[in-house]
Amino acid sequence: MKEVMAVIRMNKINQTKKALVEADISSMHARDCLGRGKGLVDIQLLKGAEQGYEEAISLLGNSQRLIPKRMISIVVPDRLTAKTVSTIIAANRTGKSGDGKIFVMPVLDAVRVRTGEEGDEALDEA
Amino acid sequence: MLMIRAIVRPEKVDAVLEQLMSEGFPAVTKMNVSGRGKQRGIKIGDITYDELPKELLMMVIPDADKDLVLRIIMGAARTGDKGAYGDGKIFVSPVEEAYTVSSGIKETNAGIEEVSP
Repeated sequence: MKEVMAVIRMNKINQTKKALVEADISSMHARDCLGRGKGLVDIQLLKGAEQGYEEAISLLGNSQRLIPKRMISIVVPDRLTAKTVSTIIAANRTGKSGDGKIFVMPVLDAVRVRTGEEGDEALDEA
Repeated sequence: MLMIRAIVRPEKVDAVLEQLMSEGFPAVTKMNVSGRGKQRGIKIGDITYDELPKELLMMVIPDADKDLVLRIIMGAARTGDKGAYGDGKIFVSPVEEAYTVSSGIKETNAGIEEVSP
């Protein structure tokens, strides 16, 4: 099984949840976080700063800032990994930097606390 | 690729982020967490505090950068020269795939490719 962890825009969380439910991937864990990525470095700004424009230089400092994001993490069986990823991408893609990242990580085991089921059986989508 | 999860003191976060930025690792996610370590929290008088506020920094980096990133975080997050209890922990775990939502670029250890949603 795999953990799909996605960091997405705050205002896309409802659309993402809806899209995931429609794709039959209903269980998830979400939380607030802050983040920054590589996308904040604007080439135009960098060029302007190099040429010494005060305004561009003052804007450069903003790249240190952390932006509020939503983090969702979903544990799915191996066969659903690609579907989960493409659903999240389709729901969140605006084409601008800041749309977010998705990471896919291996998970060794899962246990449902209520029944004690282990492995893929413990996952809702199995 | 590796995911680095570092739990550090809230007051050290700015120093760590600044150091990471200046060494060329801009991308970080930060979360508020609370927890305790081997010392079972802090006991002050009769009261034990065992849910201490910390910050969790999460980043995904290429395998080759691991030692550098660990050194940056440890250097910036340590209290004093020797460090102190409560300075935090760093966990490293494997990441198989990373996708950038805006461009649909998929990164794996094997290389970079573009996927369409």
